[in-house]
Amino acid sequence: MSASSTLLGTGRAPLGLLVPVLAVLTAALAGIALIAMLGVPFRDALESFVDGTIGSPYAISVSLNRSVVYALIGLGFILANRAGLTNVGGEGQIAVGGIAATALALQHGVGALPFGLAFLVPLLGATLAGTAWGALAGVLKARIGTNEVISTLLLSFIAVWLVYWCVQSTALLRQPMTSAATLPESLPVPEATQIPLLTGDAAAPVTAGLLAAIVLAVVVALVLTRSRFGFQLHAVGLNPTAATRAGFSYATTVVTALAIAGAFGGLAGGLMLLGEQYSLRAGFSSGYGYDGLVVGLLSRGSVLGVIAASLLFGFLRSAGISMEMGASIPTALIQVMQGLIILTVAGAAYWLDRRDAGH
Amino acid sequence: MTAALLAVFIGSSIRLAMPLLLAAIGELISERAGVLNMSIEGMMLAGAFGGAVGAWATGSPSLGLLVGLLAALPVALIQAFLTVVLRANQIVTGLGLNILVLGATTLAYREIFGARSRETIPGFPAWTPPLLGDIPVFGEAVFRQVWLVYAAIVVVILAAFVLRQTAIGIALTAAGDDPRTLERAGLSVEALRFGAILMTGMLAALAGTFLSIGDIHTFTEGMTNGAGYLAIAAVIFGNWTVGRTVVACFVFGAATALQFQLPAIGLDVPNALLIMMPYLLAFLAVAGLVGRQTAPRALATPFRR
Amino acid sequence: MNAPVTDAKSSGALLELDGLTRRFGAFTALSAVDLTIRAGEVHCLLGENGAGKSTLCNLVFGMHPPSEGEMRVEGKPYRPVGPRDALAAGIAMVHQHFSLVDEMSVVDNLMLGRVRGILDRRGWARRLDGLAERYGLALAPFARVGDLSIGERQRVEIVKCLMLEPRLLILDEPTAVLLPDEIRSLLGVCRRVAEEGAAVLLVTHKLAEIREAADRATVLRQGQVAATSEAPAREIERLVRAMIRRDLDTLDSAMAATLGVAEAGPAEKPDKPKPAEIPAGPDVLQIDNISQRDADGATRLNGVTLTLRAGEIVGLAGVEGNGQSELGLILAGLRAPDSGRLFLGEQDLTGRKPTAFTQAGIGIVPEDRHRVGAIVDMSVAENIFLNRTGDFTRFGLLRRQAMYDAAAEMMQRFDVRATGPDARFGRLSGGNQQKAVLARELTAPGLRFLLAAQPTRGLDVGAVEAVYALIREAASRGVAVLLISSELDEVLTVAHRIAVIYRGRIVGERPSDPRHRNAIGAMMAGQAAPEEPAISEKAA
Repeated sequence: MSASSTLLGTGRAPLGLLVPVLAVLTAALAGIALIAMLGVPFRDALESFVDGTIGSPYAISVSLNRSVVYALIGLGFILANRAGLTNVGGEGQIAVGGIAATALALQHGVGALPFGLAFLVPLLGATLAGTAWGALAGVLKARIGTNEVISTLLLSFIAVWLVYWCVQSTALLRQPMTSAATLPESLPVPEATQIPLLTGDAAAPVTAGLLAAIVLAVVVALVLTRSRFGFQLHAVGLNPTAATRAGFSYATTVVTALAIAGAFGGLAGGLMLLGEQYSLRAGFSSGYGYDGLVVGLLSRGSVLGVIAASLLFGFLRSAGISMEMGASIPTALIQVMQGLIILTVAGAAYWLDRRDAGH
Repeated sequence: MTAALLAVFIGSSIRLAMPLLLAAIGELISERAGVLNMSIEGMMLAGAFGGAVGAWATGSPSLGLLVGLLAALPVALIQAFLTVVLRANQIVTGLGLNILVLGATTLAYREIFGARSRETIPGFPAWTPPLLGDIPVFGEAVFRQVWLVYAAIVVVILAAFVLRQTAIGIALTAAGDDPRTLERAGLSVEALRFGAILMTGMLAALAGTFLSIGDIHTFTEGMTNGAGYLAIAAVIFGNWTVGRTVVACFVFGAATALQFQLPAIGLDVPNALLIMMPYLLAFLAVAGLVGRQTAPRALATPFRR
Repeated sequence: MNAPVTDAKSSGALLELDGLTRRFGAFTALSAVDLTIRAGEVHCLLGENGAGKSTLCNLVFGMHPPSEGEMRVEGKPYRPVGPRDALAAGIAMVHQHFSLVDEMSVVDNLMLGRVRGILDRRGWARRLDGLAERYGLALAPFARVGDLSIGERQRVEIVKCLMLEPRLLILDEPTAVLLPDEIRSLLGVCRRVAEEGAAVLLVTHKLAEIREAADRATVLRQGQVAATSEAPAREIERLVRAMIRRDLDTLDSAMAATLGVAEAGPAEKPDKPKPAEIPAGPDVLQIDNISQRDADGATRLNGVTLTLRAGEIVGLAGVEGNGQSELGLILAGLRAPDSGRLFLGEQDLTGRKPTAFTQAGIGIVPEDRHRVGAIVDMSVAENIFLNRTGDFTRFGLLRRQAMYDAAAEMMQRFDVRATGPDARFGRLSGGNQQKAVLARELTAPGLRFLLAAQPTRGLDVGAVEAVYALIREAASRGVAVLLISSELDEVLTVAHRIAVIYRGRIVGERPSDPRHRNAIGAMMAGQAAPEEPAISEKAA
């Protein structure tokens, strides 16, 4: 197992690259056909597509911020997946991260902390909340063998409704009710707790989250290919009994792996909240966790794959929003394209795996 | 709570539990055969959309029902083809289909209805069965339901019978617990799983049409809003048996009904807690706090020879 | 063999294989095999592990298509594309591993794939009773299969096949997991089935079974037919020679053990190796009154007590499924006993983690190489240093090159043949896999005790010798060895002293001496040991 095979995924390079490229092309063609059917002039569609993605520093920044969230979920996913675990809980881990970040950022005095602690403390809280949410599934798996697909899925729903609860109840995080029109959302977080922009310019609001994601991507790549911990994850994932016999604790590995995946999710939630949304609203995670899971799966276990897929999904999501506003093309169009990409790549795994098995 | 309130509560619990019940029984069939069919959400949505469009275009809810079933068929076929024939990851396939169906129905809905959105669509009328309807206080409130409710009950009983007492039932169980043995017995794991997914598709579509033309007589974008995932939670809480899944659906239905009843009773229970409760209950079940859970052993595992 | 179809018919040929070949990638598992099975006979298929027996059965049962060649049933071409076609042609098979759904009842398992529509459970329960009378195979129809004993599950498998009234019944090594009594009754069923006019293809590598049941026999060697016999009971020696290309005279007794030659009687040489002297080293391992129940509450180990001294090889003989697996897991630190204690020297290891076991100096060659002993999808090097990755770690990073270099050295020392240290473990032959496992376990620093559980199962002849040599070498440098084996002759050959386990109890202990063969055999079967010394050979 060389470093490059993990970076590029387990598929042979030509087919492993060809499939996603073909999937994206198919989806793009379908998108173009649908735009034609909707009767939107193609030029308008393309214009707003470009406007929303690479048309301005602002568009690029926002798209990158979205990609960061996808990348974090995807990285956490492939790390846990190395231990044979499927973390379907990204959405919930984002949600609890967002709750924790909001609660801490609105805590009296946090906004006044020096040295960037004002945003680091809530971010750390978000990460810890995600860690706990992921570890919970890990503990159940290790102690009574609960299938982590099922437990993380259920924990996601619970967390999403926890957000709803938090913003519905003034006893929790809802802003004080001044009138019947008071929105069910939290107070905005203090400016000091917001994630600093790398450019320092609101016209290109790419946040320091990008740096965090790049560093974490390198770390994850290193862990998976070079570290003893990565070896441990792999061993436990391939054969828990033999790994246990060799001294790698199954329980510790499973709990740690899911906790790390959760931590990445919590961090992503914190970044979304403090870097983009600034106040907690019901459903703020809006599917990022599920899309991030798909990013992780499409990457076929490689860090480069996660980066590519998260950029694709991040820019696609921006494109969808821009096309809806600029050319009245429903974002549903992007959903259709995304669905097609997922299904094509998922179906093609059959040929990719067969090649792997036969080499 | 007065008797009248109680009657309304029971009536609406049944009404709210029905689509869930149909979908959950469908999901149960797939899962018993070893397929974790996440696309049930998309199947329901396709059914709801097809039902609405069909009823609106033909003016007949019955034809709408038929269109709804047909609309879910491609979703089920794709799920079956990808996961059974190509052995794709069942969860990814499900999530992919859900996104695709959500996007496709939304696009199509806006194209077809455009400005006429929120238009009322011809739906099934409510009906009160004889005798039962004559029970004082409860008769009308509880039993006055769309006939689909009664059809659903029949479907559930049939499904339970098939699973327990027929050759197909034991073959499905074997496909989910020990597919290799099933194959050695001369049966096709692929055929059974494929068939199970199609069956799930039909029941989910029925559940979807119930939402659009049985219950509220309209279609809204993404109107299933997680009902499919709730059905999966019901199967988990139901420990993969018909009896307990039915109970789970009624508990979940009652929890939903309670949301609307709470103001009337004057109880201060957070709405969010009630919405969350089904997932919480299912989670407690898999956490081992509600007896021992025994999922089919080959659940979510593609079959390789 | 170019026997025309008509000839075959006249001789009552039920199944004919004509030039049957099956390749898996570059590997040819079966090469141009001709074979005829006649109605009314018990036909034994012999061969070492890996000779192609299971492949042949799987082709006949339609699990794989042949690469070349043809099959005919009663003279008509037979090209099954799945088990369904085989069943339709009247061919039923009992697989090496059970094919029963544990979660379902006995009748439901019997009906699986056999019925349509609504289940008639009572009717099938009655049929089951009828069959039970005819063949002496009693079963509780509504018991959950997962709750049955191994012998009972085997019975369900056979009944499942018999209910089809098959024309050909294939049994792929059915006796490996059975008690002697159960084996006898199974062979009786085979004879009965043949007398009723059907054919039985019995796959085995135990010659004693051939003597008892076979009408004819075919020997496979490296995927080819090496011999056929019309009177196998009288030609045991020739068949063995064909199986392994060696005379029994020159056959290492250890190898004879794996073949069960000694049990076959006539081939047995009078002078078995002398029992080695038991070295009088200090006590190393103490198993003290260990008991264990399984998840269903059945007692698997019942007060096992055993002490091993330095340099001593103790054989633990017993039919499989009598608690050896559970004991193996406890000695590997993978499971804690329900009661009792485990000491290595003065150190109490009861309930400690596997790492503690390894550090204390316990090496394990597990019976399940693929599940416990190695990670088949990792490289040979990674498997050799699986429990010593720490030695190659600096600042949390694994120095793979150093590990691969060290592994190459180990592979040379232990004669592990592979394309290189980076070869996938699963690609190695069974023998090389086992040598890699031994390399890991025997080179552990401070090794004091070695468990070798069924260490030669599935290995070819050369590898068996190598494994024995490694075990003896370990003992000679003072390691205490516990050899768990279901092959009595293997234990008699390698061990200094033999303990017998039956139903989770140590039921007796004997010095390793062929004269105790019968006593030990009786104990393995759960009978009280005859009076000592038991040297008389009973005529078969």
